[in-house]
Amino acid sequence: MAERWQDEEWAKDLWYSGKATRRKFLGLGAAAAGALGATLLVPPPWREAFGQAKPYKIGTLQPLSGAGAAGGKTALVGTQMAVDRINKAGGINGRPIELVIADYESKPDVGRRKAEKLAVEDKIDAHQGGFLSNVCLACMPVFEEHKIVNMIGVCLDTTITTSKCSRYTFRSFDYAPAQAVAFAPYLVGKMGKKWHIAFADYAWGQSTRDAYAEQIKKAGGEVVGTTGIPLGTADMTPFLSKISGAFDGFFGIFFGKDGVTIGNQAFDLGLTKKYRWAGDGAIAEATNLPALGNKIEGFVGINRYVPVLDPPLNTPHHKKFFDDAVARLKQIDPSGPLPDRYVQANFEAMNALKVGIQKSGFQGRADTPKLIAALEGLEMKEGDDFPQGDKTLRKDDHQAFLREFIFEIKDGKHRIVEVVPKEKTVFPPACKFA
Amino acid sequence: MSAPRSSSGYWMGFAIVLALLAAAPLVLPEFWRRFVTEILIWGLLAMSSDILIGYTGMISFGHSAFFGLGMYGAAAALLTVRPPNLWLALLYGLIGAGVIAAFVAYFATRLRDIYFAITTLVFSQIFYVIIFTWTEVTGGENGLTFRQPPFSVPAVLSVPFTPVTLHWFVLAVVALSYLLLRRITQSPFGMVLQSIRENEPRTRAIGYHVERYKIVAVMLSGLFAGLAGVLYAVQNKFAAPDFVFFLISGEVVIFNVMGGMGTLVGPVAGAAFFLLLREVFSRFFTEYYLIPVGVIFTLMVVFMPQGLLGFLRRRLNQ
Repeated sequence: MAERWQDEEWAKDLWYSGKATRRKFLGLGAAAAGALGATLLVPPPWREAFGQAKPYKIGTLQPLSGAGAAGGKTALVGTQMAVDRINKAGGINGRPIELVIADYESKPDVGRRKAEKLAVEDKIDAHQGGFLSNVCLACMPVFEEHKIVNMIGVCLDTTITTSKCSRYTFRSFDYAPAQAVAFAPYLVGKMGKKWHIAFADYAWGQSTRDAYAEQIKKAGGEVVGTTGIPLGTADMTPFLSKISGAFDGFFGIFFGKDGVTIGNQAFDLGLTKKYRWAGDGAIAEATNLPALGNKIEGFVGINRYVPVLDPPLNTPHHKKFFDDAVARLKQIDPSGPLPDRYVQANFEAMNALKVGIQKSGFQGRADTPKLIAALEGLEMKEGDDFPQGDKTLRKDDHQAFLREFIFEIKDGKHRIVEVVPKEKTVFPPACKFA
Repeated sequence: MSAPRSSSGYWMGFAIVLALLAAAPLVLPEFWRRFVTEILIWGLLAMSSDILIGYTGMISFGHSAFFGLGMYGAAAALLTVRPPNLWLALLYGLIGAGVIAAFVAYFATRLRDIYFAITTLVFSQIFYVIIFTWTEVTGGENGLTFRQPPFSVPAVLSVPFTPVTLHWFVLAVVALSYLLLRRITQSPFGMVLQSIRENEPRTRAIGYHVERYKIVAVMLSGLFAGLAGVLYAVQNKFAAPDFVFFLISGEVVIFNVMGGMGTLVGPVAGAAFFLLLREVFSRFFTEYYLIPVGVIFTLMVVFMPQGLLGFLRRRLNQ
């Protein structure tokens, strides 16, 4: 027996012996290529069930690496849940969905390149996804150029369905102006007339601030001051310590880790005790609650989705969605986060696409005008496809209107305090299709 | 007798590469056609930074600012002037990048080595924050989108770009830029830059005003980076703050290291190699593709410290 395992006879082909010959290199290369090829030859799981039925190729662009990776992976869970459910139920018009996933690294240039690849190489029939608004906006012209329906999953920027709207792009969830219309009467009527707004100082935060300022004024209230805080600021104290004066409520417009920072630091400075504390629901997203602890108690927010099984979300459809999402999220995050609006919006966006395909008899990209016609004005009914509730996809700007949940954080959990019907969230269209 | 032969060999090689690149969009599938055009643009950006990194020995992390300002300059011309004009976009982009390069050069060239690198990084981050937050003018995080200008010769013709003609236009600009930069680096001015790289105190002792040479080098480098930014804006019809972020400068340094610094062509080869690696691996490994790319980059740094071009040269000389 040899002294070192590397000198054993059986290990000679595996262990680098000091000379890399061309034969060894080619051999190992061929073995690696063979292994890779073999994995590609394994048929996808839907192949057996659907026989030779040609699948609908649906592309999904997500930030699976880079700054937006955590959110992108969560969002993808929603899309995959919907695709698996559709395929399990027999596909659409007897054809399965083949999901083509592309990671755009949270960068707009990569996003645009991947959108091109999906369009010209993968030859997708439609696209469902998109997470970061700047990447969504950069990719929209690609879908327009190749005449592909683009059903957005997360991108919240207002301009996507207003000044930069596209005939090919649809948003099956809400946007800031609709949330402001829904929330302002509650803020002014039940919490106070005078407000100070602190916001993430970039495009989304600024446009959301403007929407709330307008609606609070319309509801009879007043915005006495605003404070912009740069995105990603770890220490917000210098900004927050300047906020003082005679007003009733302190309103925050932040998301992600900035939501955690504002929640913790506003509490530490006593702002949330001195003033009524409200804001965009993204501050108190389920994923943020553990990091906020009891400092977020009493926060009042608005969101299209809250992970509770209380009325009106105590339906069997929502329970089914909730349980499936919890199980899948646990696979990517062992801490077991509850589903958030990213999972919900992607799940429902894929289902909206499904309903549109069924309604229009869409067969492929050549039928895109038919699919657009079917999606324009689409009424989505609460059920297994749309567990969040009813929604309407407006024809004028391809923007959906849906019910909103005003919630309070109590004992570390969301508690719905008011449900705003979709009819009371409508904001006039501001889109002119080219 | 060997000099003329090697010179004719060089020009023959240049002509062959140029001909291959010109023919590429006629034979490549649609996606790869666009991809090659993009490689040329990133290659020009990498080439521009080679003036500083490879020839003057100054590592700049501010190239994203010059690239981005070129892009936003072009965007300003394409959004404010009707009908959109290609040459005006070029002019605005070059002015934008040139002014910023002069500003950065004035302050940063007073410092050396790591201090120069950090100063350029700080400047690029300042411009990034301004662009990111000044939404009314720059579009903020979302950036600006616009229409592609046609190719025009005033009073003679105006034709919209096709992917093939755009590729040829980009190729022409990159080839001319290369020839110009090659001429500059081989001129007495270029020799002084290399002398600064090799021994700055001695260059100063000989009597050269080192700071002035450095300022001109940064401005020159910034102008060509801005030109790359204009080409990117024209190709992709959008400008975004992400291109001003220092990570882009980091990628440009990687292009230089992979391709071979101080060669002008090397960084272009480095950009092509890196972008191809990224594209191919991301197809198989989705979000995990950076692991093999990182491993290959590390191996290259260890086993090919002079980059792809240096390695090829050494092999050919053997």
